[in-house]
Formats: sequence, C-alpha cells, structure tokens
Amino acid sequence: MNATLEAKRDTAAAELQLATFYVGDILLGIDIQQVQEINRQLDVTEVPHSPDFVRGVINLRGDVATVVDLRTILGLPSAEVTRESRNLIVHSKGETIGFLVDRISDILALNTNEISPSPTTVEGVDGNLFKGIFKLETELLIILDVDAVLSGETK
Amino acid sequence: MDDELLNDFIVEANEHMADIENQFLSIEESGEDVDVDLINEVFRGIHSIKGAAGFLGMTTINDLAHSLENILNMMRNLELTPNSAMIDVMLRAADRLQGLINDIQNSNDADVSEFIQALESISNDKAEAAPEPTPAVQEKPLTEDEELDRQIEEAIAAKLAETNAKKEATEKPPQQEAEPPVEPTPAPSPEAKKPTPTAKKSKDKKTAAPEASIRVSIGVLDKLMNLAGELVLSRNQLMQAIVTTDRTGLDVIASRLDQVTSEVQESIMQTRMQQIGSVFGKFPRIVRDLSSKLGKHCNLNIEGKEVEVDKTIIEAIGDPLTHLVRNSIDHGIEMPEGREKAGKPVEGTMNLRAFYQAGKVRIEIEDDGAGIDPKKLKEKAVSKGILTAEKAEQMNDREAVRLIFHPGFSMAAKVTDVSGRGVGMDVVRTNISKLGGTVDVESVVGQGTNIVITLPLTLAIIPSLIVQSREDRFAIPQVNIAELVRLRPAELEKRVGRIKDSEVLRLRGDLLPLIRLEEVLGMASKQGADEEQAETTAQPICKATNIIVVETGQHRFGVVVDALHDSEEIVVKPLGRHIQECPCLSGATILGDGHVALILDVAGIAAHEQVLGNEALDQENEKQTGNDEEETQHMLLFSNHAEEHFAVTMDVISRIDRVRADQIDSVGGQELLQYRNSTMSLLRLENCITAKMPEPGNRLYVIVFEVAGKEVGLIAPLLEDIRDITSTIDTATFRERGILGSMVLGEKTTRYVDLFELADIAHPEWRDADDVVAVEEDEQPPLILLAEDSGFFRKQVTGMMTERGYRVVDCEDGLIAWETLQSGEHDFDLVVTDIEMPNMDGFELADRIKQSSKWNHLPVIALTSLAGAADVERGIEVGIDDYQIKMDRDKLLNSLQNFAGTKSGNNRPVLEKV
Repeated sequence: MNATLEAKRDTAAAELQLATFYVGDILLGIDIQQVQEINRQLDVTEVPHSPDFVRGVINLRGDVATVVDLRTILGLPSAEVTRESRNLIVHSKGETIGFLVDRISDILALNTNEISPSPTTVEGVDGNLFKGIFKLETELLIILDVDAVLSGETK
Repeated sequence: MDDELLNDFIVEANEHMADIENQFLSIEESGEDVDVDLINEVFRGIHSIKGAAGFLGMTTINDLAHSLENILNMMRNLELTPNSAMIDVMLRAADRLQGLINDIQNSNDADVSEFIQALESISNDKAEAAPEPTPAVQEKPLTEDEELDRQIEEAIAAKLAETNAKKEATEKPPQQEAEPPVEPTPAPSPEAKKPTPTAKKSKDKKTAAPEASIRVSIGVLDKLMNLAGELVLSRNQLMQAIVTTDRTGLDVIASRLDQVTSEVQESIMQTRMQQIGSVFGKFPRIVRDLSSKLGKHCNLNIEGKEVEVDKTIIEAIGDPLTHLVRNSIDHGIEMPEGREKAGKPVEGTMNLRAFYQAGKVRIEIEDDGAGIDPKKLKEKAVSKGILTAEKAEQMNDREAVRLIFHPGFSMAAKVTDVSGRGVGMDVVRTNISKLGGTVDVESVVGQGTNIVITLPLTLAIIPSLIVQSREDRFAIPQVNIAELVRLRPAELEKRVGRIKDSEVLRLRGDLLPLIRLEEVLGMASKQGADEEQAETTAQPICKATNIIVVETGQHRFGVVVDALHDSEEIVVKPLGRHIQECPCLSGATILGDGHVALILDVAGIAAHEQVLGNEALDQENEKQTGNDEEETQHMLLFSNHAEEHFAVTMDVISRIDRVRADQIDSVGGQELLQYRNSTMSLLRLENCITAKMPEPGNRLYVIVFEVAGKEVGLIAPLLEDIRDITSTIDTATFRERGILGSMVLGEKTTRYVDLFELADIAHPEWRDADDVVAVEEDEQPPLILLAEDSGFFRKQVTGMMTERGYRVVDCEDGLIAWETLQSGEHDFDLVVTDIEMPNMDGFELADRIKQSSKWNHLPVIALTSLAGAADVERGIEVGIDDYQIKMDRDKLLNSLQNFAGTKSGNNRPVLEKV
C-alpha cells in the first residue's frame, strides 16, 4: 500500500488512483489521496438532531469522527450494517469523516482523460456530487467529490 | 517586506510592551526612590523596539520609541525624577506605541508628533532651568513637582553615587545583548533576569503565527520528553510480551502504561496552563486611570498572580473581570469626601485575589467602598417590575444583593459612561457560567463589596455525570447539576404534575419544569412506536424515576433519564462540522470502554425546549402552593441515636446551644443546665418517647424553646441539617404522645417531634390548672372557626384547641370558612385562619370579615409557618387581630384565651341578632 502511494506521487497528474466501493449497487470511487483508512469501526453513537445523512460519531483512536451514511446522500434507503460494511475514513477540510459503505472494492488507477464529465443527474442523484464517470468493462464507476458530498447542501 | 521578519518584530515588541504599563506604574510608585534596575529593564525593552523598528524602516515607531527611551535614560541617570504627570504622558505614549505595533502596516503614516512633543517637553523642562510646561498633552503643571524633584535629587545624589556605579554596569547589556556579564557582582539581578527573555525570544522566532503560539516552560517539555521515552519503553515491553506470549509480565506493563499515560495527560494539560497574572497585569493601569478620571483614590492590591489556569479561561476571563473591577471603582469606592465623612481612609482599597480552592480557582474582587444597599436594590427591582413588592419583602439581604445579576438591572443610581448601562452584571454572569464557573456577591452596606468568582482549572477536562437514555449514554457537566432526585413509582403521581402541556416536578414546595431526555433528543420517535408504548407504560411500574435537577444562569429544571452511571472526569472532544450546530450538545467524549458519549449542553436544552421561564413558574407556584397539601416547613433535623432521626419545626425554637456534657447537672433526677446565671430544665427524648439511648459524647446540642414562660432545652446529640421541608406527614405510623407524625427524608424515616407535648410529658405540673378555658356552667365554651388547608395542621390545631376545651369548626379553605360563617349555622366567637390557602387566603377572609357589618367585631387570629414582616403588615391592613406561629402552642393558646375568653360574652348578643 505504501509502495503504491509512493509510486502515485511520482506519476504524472494524468493518473488518478481511486479507492472504490459499493453503495447499494452503485460503484463509487474516491481519490485515494483523500482516504486515510478503511476500518470496521461500526459502533456508531447516534447524534440527536443531526442532519439526516449523519449516521453518528465513532471513536477514531481518541478522536471523535462523524460518520456519514452515503446511502442517504445518494437517496437510497438507510444502510443496514452487514459483515461487509466498512467505514471509509476520508480527509475533508481538515477533518476526518467516515463514509459508511456497503462493500469495499479495489484500488484502481485511471487516466484522467478517460474520465467523462458527470451528467446533471446520475441515477436520480445530483451530478454536482460527482467529479466524473469512468466506464469499466462491466459497469460504471462514479467518482465522488468528497467535499461536495459533505457540503450537506443536497439531499 | 519580509512578513516573517515583521511578525517576529511584532511578537518581540509585544513581549516588551506586555508589562510596560505596570512597570511604569511601579516607577511612578517608587517616585524619587528610583529603582534603577527596573528603569533599566524598561529602557532595554524600548531600546530593542527602537532598534528593530529602525532596521525595518518603521520610522514612526522608531521616533516614538526614541523619545520614550530618552526620558527613561534621563530617569535612570537620575537626571529626571519620575512623577505622576510624566508617567501619564509616558503611559499614553506607550499606548500609542502599542497601537502602532498592532497596526504596523500603517504605522508610518500615523501622526505621533503630539506624543513626541509631550515627551520632549518633559526632557526639555528638565534641561532648562526655568521649567515651562508645554500645553500639548500634559494635564498638570510640572513646576512644583520638578522643583521638589531637584531638591530631593540633590539631597540623595551622594547616597546614590553607589547606585550610579551599578547603573553603569547594567547599561552595557542592552547594546550588546548576547554578551554575558563581565563584572562579577554589583547588580546581579538585571543580568539574571535578562537571559530568560532573550532565550525565549529566539525560540519564538522559529514558531509561525504570533497568535497561535503558547509558551511552555522547559521543565514541562523535558518532562514530556521523558514520558514519551517511557511510553516507547512500555510499548516495546508490551510488544515483546505479546511476541513471546509471556502473559506474566502483562500486569506490570499495563500498570506502568496506565501511570505513564496519566502523567502524560497531566503534563500536557500543564502546557496549557498560564498564570492568571497575565490578566491581572492590566488592572493597575485601569484602576489608576479610572479612579483619577472619577476623582477617586484607590489602591489596588493583587494577590495570587502565579495561580495557573487553562489558556482558554485566561483568554475569556479578561472582559468579565475588567467589568467587575471597573464597577467596583465606579459604584463601590466612594468619593474622597464621602469616605472621610464615613470615617474611612480617603484612599479606597481594592483587593484582587486569586487562589486555589477545592480543585477550582477562586477569584475575589473586594473593595472597601459603600457596599450595596439591599433595600435600594429591592426598590429598584420592584420599580422595574423585576420583582413584586411582596416577593421583595420576603427576600433576604443576601438574595437581594444578588439582584445585580438580574438581566436588565443597573446598579448605578445614575448612568455613567464607565458602567451602569444595565448590560453589565448579567453578561458577566453569563460569560462566567459559559466557562463552567460561578459568580456570587457579598456586600455589607458601608463596608464594602466582595465579588467571588469560581472557575474550573481547565475546560478540557470536566467532571461529569454519565447518564443513560434508551441505549445511549450522555455526559452532563457537574457544574450544571444541582441535585439528583429519585422518585419511587408511588411518589410519581403526587410529585409530577402538568402545567400548560409541560411536566413539572414538585420539589420542596417549588415547581420545576421537567423534561424527558429521550424526548428532547428526539429518540423516542426513532424507535418503533409499539416498543415505545410498551416501554413507557411498563417503566413507571417497575422502576424508580431518576431526575437530574440542572441549573443554568436563567433556568433550573429537571431532566428525566433512564439510568444514572458513574461520575467521570471526561476529556472534551470537539464535534465535526456537520453536528457542531446541533442544539443540546456541546461536544463529545470517549468513555472508558471506548464508546463515544455526547456531552449535553444544559443551556442549549433549556433554549431548545423553551423551558418555562422563572416568571411563568413563579406565577404557577403562587397558584399552586395553596393547592398543595404539603406545606413547607422550616425544620431542624437531628438524630438522637445514629439510627433514629427527628425533626422539630424551627418556628418554635428560640435558639440552639452547644454545650459540654459536663456542664449538665443532675439534681433530683432532673437534668439542668446552668445558663447565664439561671438554670434551664433539660429534656431527653428517650425519657419522653420511645427512642434509643444516644451514644455518650462530650459535646452536645441543646434545642431551646419556651414553655409557659420558661426556657426548656431538648438534648440533641447530633444536628443534621436545617431545611425547608415539604413532605407529607404520616400521622398514623408512629402514633404516640410527643410525636406529631413521621416523614421520609433522604430515605430515612424522620419523626416529627412536638416540643410542647414533650415538655408536657416530662413536666405535667407545668401546665397551669387554669389552662383549660374557664366557662360558666350555663355557658358553652367559645366556638372557634378554623380555616386551614393542610390536613396535618388542621388536625393538630383542632386537637390542641379541643383539648383545652374550645369548640372548633374546621374548614379546609378560606372560602368554605366564609360560607360557613355566612350560613349562620354557628355563632362563632373567634376566627383562626391560615394565610396561604388555595381559593381564598387568610388575608381575604379577614378582609371580608372585617368589611362586613355583621362580623367585623369577630377577632381574627392568623396562623403562619413563619411570621414574615410583609405578612404582618398586610395583616394589619386587613384587620387581623393577632399573628401566631402554627406550632407555637403556648402562645397560640394564650392568644385564644385573650380574644375568645374575654370577648365571648360580648360577642354573643351581636351574633344572636343575625
């Protein structure tokens, strides 16, 4: 993992490494630079009066991190925690925030010019949440704009 | 220009300026007795600023610093003797210099000629033989002072030759900063002081932004380094133990790790601690400026500068403290003439103190001024509509003085620009309570005022109570918790009521708004509806209800939770940006088991739930007190034997004495206490009623009361408390003479003792034979109409009256009494009424009786639990003939006899006319 990260830094800006995962049937990717870790810390403490998409908070080695339910943001029914559920911890605006995802997939390296811009809506979700779309052999990979997702402005 | 360099300059200049005010003030204070070392220190600071400013091309700063430096130079060379006028100019120049440093980018365009002129005029005046004060900024003529200065200067010139030598030795370092002192002794102190700031300065240069840095002593850092080493060591041992699967050493490693971790935590907390002196430092100047502006004289004594508190608190406490200090000078300290008249020293004294107390920091601001007049405060509060006149009367002086914290209350008789805009003290209180602190005031009219602030040492770790609501645990900061109340299912219905859709708790005669945590947090809705119903219906039956009574500045209310856990010191963690704004929460913490618990923001909950304000409750309280079967009584609680608890009403106690066991004499089977040249009979509970013998002790208390004109004492080995008690009195369980009933207080059964009956049991001979109402044979004994809402008292008083031969018709309300009276069924001779009653109170009843032509001759005796001054006055207005305290049987009976015994005959014919 470290080796890939190192390698990544040296490559041209044209290559993008993504951590990919499933939310429902949707395959999503996040720039690996923004990902701190993936863990199974699913013991979430609910926060009263919090926005809908906030699942709660977790103890992340002594820090309290907010966990966001990506399903709610993407307009899907709230997630059930399963054996494959994971917390994807990302950095956003100086804060560590967890994304609750259904299943972790691969780490993919893409060429930025192969990414097509995001349409206005993707499967009924506001396209502004995405940085773009990449066509894999069998399915579509949607690249998330972490900061936009966390802006909390879309439902 | 290089920003980093500029930043360094600002940091450094600010360091030099930080204490300059106080240094100037000390210079002023020492007057002609010049402290050369001190002046040198200031000189060096200004000199460094001048040098650096010149280097950076800050010409204005350079010029101003130069002029200041000139004066200081003359002072340290003893060419100029500092006086108040000079220091005035210098202080203002220093302020300006500080201003320039803070606004460095525009400093070169600023005009400082005024200051430079003023400063130069000081130096020129000195140089010229005939001093001529230049008008510019100086307020006071210098001539006299200067003349005096010169004389003194000459006189002490010889004496100071020695000091001059010192001064020369110390003059060098400022120019060549790094050079260590070459000359061995004469003035070690300035050199010794010197290296520290320089060393720290160079360290600061490496740190980035000026405002984000904090100074940490090398000692603390060293300790942290050591602890980090220890941590690494422990980790290595732990890894090794795991690799070798050697379990035996784990315990040792774990305890070591535990210890090291706590030490690390402590040391890191220490890095955040700063001396409170940095806040106190600005007050000498404020006091000086303000008192001279107001024409007052005031000395400020500061104690406890070295007390350390968390940086966040240091930053936040400045403004409230400034306000309080200004208030003390403005309102507290009197004008010199006033002080003289009052026989006080012309100079007022203000003490600013900080010290540790019980794990907290206490700050006191004490002045010896006029004090706060509770009467005036009450009047003002009433005129402003903050209080009703009635409430004001009941309020004691201490409470009245606290009115200054009431929102919208201005203490000053007139509004000055210094304070008294009425936005002060409540803001101070709010700000301090935001820090988890409290503020209180004590004042004695004519002697002064003392304002006491209590603050936690740190905000990062707060003692909290962990509570549970549904599945989740929450932390409530202890500072907000007033008390915990546990209601058994049986009590629930009686103690919890409803006002306008909100639940209220009856607590010692007060009504407290009650909120359920799960509802506040909206958790009830998240769960399934069925489950919820099942739970809420099941709960009251099987479990006691836990209520946490919490307080914020304005509100006091009860929070119902499902369970209470431990009290813990929790480390506060901030919440992420998505949930930061959540009402009701102030942060989160990680509990011992690794779970996250949210910290409840009590003030937030109050706002969110729109908890009934005090006013609304007070109104309800007033409406409700009458309905309440349980009347509040002021009770003294004591125990005779460790397992047996008793209560007596304070109303009948004349005093409580503490005596040695050997002071008690036993004469003829009677115990007596020599007291102020007379003897007092003593009673022992175990001799009068069924009670266990107390453990013998050297010291005991004697509860003194009066029976038939004699003082009698009841021995009470151990006093527990004096409390206002609102509890239903059970008159059935412990039925015996001398005991009125029992109640449950703090899970202990407490028996309510009737002192008069006790005396009667022990000394039946005291009861006068003619106690029983003397009635002519053909006459009926006097008939009394009794109105009393409390069943307990109704029974007591009725019993007492009938025992003495009176006939009594009792009614549970004033209205019923009035109707009974009007029905004409009985010919009453006397009316005895309680004051507080739900539908018609005693005042109204008395008023109606006295207003009516038919009954206005009827004597009315009012019964109260505590004879309040307001009550008596109002009672006289409506024509109440006498006031008696409910439990003071002797006096009540006397009064009955006075009114009924003599008037019964006279009353009859009138009544018959009806």
